[in-house]
Amino acid sequence: MMPPLTRRQILQQAGAGFGSLALQSLLGADGLLSSTNPMAPRAPHFAPKAKSVIFLFMYGGPSHVDLFDPKPALAKYHGRPIPLWKKEDAFMGGKTKNVAMQSPYRFTKHGQAGIDMAEVYPNLARHADSLCMIRSMHTESNNHAPALFQMNSGFVQPGRPSMGSWVTYGLGSESENLPAFVVLLDKLGAPVNGALNWSNGFMPAAYQGVPFRSSGEPIAYLTPPKNVSASQQRARLDLLKQWNTEYAESNPAETALAARLNAYELAYRMQMSATECTDLKGESAAVRQMYGLDHATTAHFGKNCLLARRLVERGVRFVQVYSGGNEGPKAWDAHDDLKRNHDLHCAETDGPIAALLDDLKISGLLDTTLVVWGGEFGRSPVAENGKGRDHHPKGFTMWMAGGGIKGGMIHGATDEFGYAAIENRVSVPDLHATILHQLGLDHEQLTYRFTGRDYRLTDVSGDVVKALLA
Amino acid sequence: MSRVFLHLSFVCLIVTTICHAAAPSMDEGRKHWAFQPLLKVPLPDVKQTTWPKNDIDHFILAQLETAGLQPSAEADRTTLIRRVTLDLIGLPPSPAEVADFIQDESPRAYEALIDRLLASPHYGERWGRHWLDLARYADTSGFHNDLDRPYAWKYRDYVIRSFNGDKPYARFIAEQIAGDEVDGANEQTLIATGFCRNGSSNDDNMGKTPEAIAQYKADQMDDVISTTSSVFIGLTIGCARCHDHKTEPILAKDYYSLMAVFNGTERLGLPSGATDAKDKKVNDAAKVMALVETKPEVAATHVLLRGLAANKGVEVAAAMPAVLTARPVNFPKPTGKTSLRRRTLAEWISSPENPLTWRVMVNRVWQHHFGQGLVTTPSNFGVSGAAPTNPELLDFLATQFVANGGLLKPLHKMMLMSAAYRQQSSSHAKGQQVDPMNHRLWRMNKQRMEAEVLRDSILTASGQLNRTAGGPGFKPRIRPDLLDASQRNKWPAIQAEGTEHWRRSVYIYVKRQLLMPSMELFDAPTTTDSCALRMQSTVPTQALVLMNDDFVEDQADHLARLAKVEAGDELAKIVEQMFMLTLSRKPTEVRMSQAVEFLKSREHFSDRHSALRDLSHVLLNSSEFVYIE
Repeated sequence: MMPPLTRRQILQQAGAGFGSLALQSLLGADGLLSSTNPMAPRAPHFAPKAKSVIFLFMYGGPSHVDLFDPKPALAKYHGRPIPLWKKEDAFMGGKTKNVAMQSPYRFTKHGQAGIDMAEVYPNLARHADSLCMIRSMHTESNNHAPALFQMNSGFVQPGRPSMGSWVTYGLGSESENLPAFVVLLDKLGAPVNGALNWSNGFMPAAYQGVPFRSSGEPIAYLTPPKNVSASQQRARLDLLKQWNTEYAESNPAETALAARLNAYELAYRMQMSATECTDLKGESAAVRQMYGLDHATTAHFGKNCLLARRLVERGVRFVQVYSGGNEGPKAWDAHDDLKRNHDLHCAETDGPIAALLDDLKISGLLDTTLVVWGGEFGRSPVAENGKGRDHHPKGFTMWMAGGGIKGGMIHGATDEFGYAAIENRVSVPDLHATILHQLGLDHEQLTYRFTGRDYRLTDVSGDVVKALLA
Repeated sequence: MSRVFLHLSFVCLIVTTICHAAAPSMDEGRKHWAFQPLLKVPLPDVKQTTWPKNDIDHFILAQLETAGLQPSAEADRTTLIRRVTLDLIGLPPSPAEVADFIQDESPRAYEALIDRLLASPHYGERWGRHWLDLARYADTSGFHNDLDRPYAWKYRDYVIRSFNGDKPYARFIAEQIAGDEVDGANEQTLIATGFCRNGSSNDDNMGKTPEAIAQYKADQMDDVISTTSSVFIGLTIGCARCHDHKTEPILAKDYYSLMAVFNGTERLGLPSGATDAKDKKVNDAAKVMALVETKPEVAATHVLLRGLAANKGVEVAAAMPAVLTARPVNFPKPTGKTSLRRRTLAEWISSPENPLTWRVMVNRVWQHHFGQGLVTTPSNFGVSGAAPTNPELLDFLATQFVANGGLLKPLHKMMLMSAAYRQQSSSHAKGQQVDPMNHRLWRMNKQRMEAEVLRDSILTASGQLNRTAGGPGFKPRIRPDLLDASQRNKWPAIQAEGTEHWRRSVYIYVKRQLLMPSMELFDAPTTTDSCALRMQSTVPTQALVLMNDDFVEDQADHLARLAKVEAGDELAKIVEQMFMLTLSRKPTEVRMSQAVEFLKSREHFSDRHSALRDLSHVLLNSSEFVYIE
């Protein structure tokens, strides 16, 4: 019998096809076979503009006609029917009547480009010239769960990998010590669909989003049980490493055994790095103030925005920050009283988002970080229960900033009532294709084979919205 | 080769392989290998006539000889008993069982071991779990509210019972598709139709308009059609919902003809989330989750253009996919209370003449035993699926399976008795060079324990496994700060686990919005779709759970105590027992001295028990524990 392959030979076989960066780390000092690490960095399809994404997800459906897409016609028709509305547009059935409702907010134009923004976003308004407003978004479902699935995974049913999974599958991770796809939740917990919102779907578990908590243990099972000391844990891991190394070396064909060694060492390092990352003590008073960490209204979302910056700084690829959790009405789901709902959620998010953009600009990270803001749909131009608005998927606004996207522009338009996107319409797959494009990924080439079919985040549609690219 | 490697290698290739051939014509499609009748294959001639232990080995060896490869030597008895016990019942053998087997000089020792394991009630818990993956089983509805399904667990128990009783496969199929229409229909066969009900649902929040409701119903029907076709006949018919299939000779019309088969069904039983589930006044009929018909007439079924309920196309009749039927299958006139359409479908699927059904199922069994199917796309035997690596063997096995009446236990036994299965799993350069994916089986594949096997093995090693079978799912401890990941149908916060939490993992309550972390991270299915092949991923978050979960700490503590009780005070004896309980074998001299040195060093900082707990914890985390050789 021939002698077994040397580790270097195995490495060369196993590593073929990966980027040179991955090969370097394969042949790193500890000789571990990280080619089996599904998070090994992979080359994009073409030169990327952005390395990371921060998706500020306003769960529940923020109202486009009250925040970024002013509609004087709603004031004109206030209390009267609008010609476009159909009975079946209502999600809430009879509670939603064809009665136009004017916005309770005043709009003013901001920045050189004169971007319209409602008075409830005064701090964000400072960044008007960095924002790319997409006023022509549309999506399929007027129901939270399917619409969340679509915004997150491109498809209204559960089971597909989420965008963060696709991105980390396509590019791997740049962080040696942190997960590549991190989710930060509202203080009220996860939106509907729970963890399915950041699911890996049919991809390996390695690509699922890892929720970080901003208080207590940042990652699940990050800290040892109370009766295990740090030195005790290290002593265990030292013996484990010795045995697992010997076993991996005597079975060089089983690349997963070497990957397992890596996984334990990364897990051990994560205990420190994730704790370090979420420990905000080192941040200055000025930073605490700008993110609003010392005010009850802004503290939670502000902390998550600051965390998002710290995660991106440390090489995390995709960060999703949720505003709104649990029941719809506790999120942006303003069925009963739009003003009361949006007053609260804008107050919670305005300062922190502005601070995040400031912070990313100061550090230069905004150039390589794509910030995306939006919900799973918009809200009806007509009133529900007199002063609320119903779910509405036919036209709504999202914005992007940084990461090679043009600032100070408005793309697309809804009709005069904000009922439907009519000009330069942007579908969810178009948005996904554009986000992937900024990361150097061609949405038609980024495929994953499952049950004999090559799946895409954008399924069978999606065009990169070229007009948005800087 | 492990599946992780397979997966990653195609990541590299994928960019170059995304272009599909278009779907073949119906005539071309009819020639596809998987649609041909089962071949009556003679045993291939082999040169090394002493190696084969049964017919399977002729097929394996013939391929190896052609490739110039030698089969690997037989694994030692310790390895064999651990392998086959974990494989058949999902639990490691006890130290006494290992000792007995090693000492058993009877030539029938190995066969007797297999017979014992196949007769164990734990067999159904292990192999039923494989089926539950296919059946996308869960205890909640998923979607918006993740409602409790009060009697979903009866389907899980039905599956386990069916495997333990070795129910003929044709009957097993019929009960799950048409449990209300089969001969001898009873409560159990109604429960079996839970197969058609296990998918995600959003009943209480599907929209308020008639359009939204119609679309939702079509989506629910799609789950049944897609799952039924991929599980039983290995075809991705669900892809033909919006248009003719892009890669298969399957038309949208075929899809809607299957919809016509199910179109008269109603969903029986308490709605998800029903709070009166435990109310005594609820009659027994409501205490099942079934899919039944209550009248013989079925409303007309139309093709729905682009899959949209609002876009009605031509009307279609109930029919089987055209590419699989030379002549249309006759649907009898309805008699009695139902249309008999699903019974007709089940009879067609389970007919000995339907080659797909039998090929697909023997391939699933082979895949679980050997770590890789003869067809590596187990739920896709279509033209876009993988070609069989050993087509003659596949047909031989399928023919045997049909001939024995569709019984799984004799099929298992034949596979496990083969010399191919008994090979060592260590690799060598020649094999790596000629057949790195081990498609020809020149060695046994090493497999990582599946999530349930790992947890159950930890409990067995610690002596704490509670073997209570069946009934409603139980909820083990999840760290409380994780619970806010799902706000609906909330998981209880549990301070300390006790014996009621230490049952087998197949009985853990499967909550779609919050899967048990130790299951999910080790690649248990997400339950949204049928899962035919679990990943074997290796990620740091797995390491975190095994390192830091109180569950592992508790069991390490119990393991240390158990070893002391069984071995007495002598350190070397205790270490030896700990190795036997976890790895089913004694430590080598080197390992023994490493372990003793470690214990002495740890005792220096704490005490003997704490040191033993440390060593137990290391063993439960070790690759040798987690990998099956």
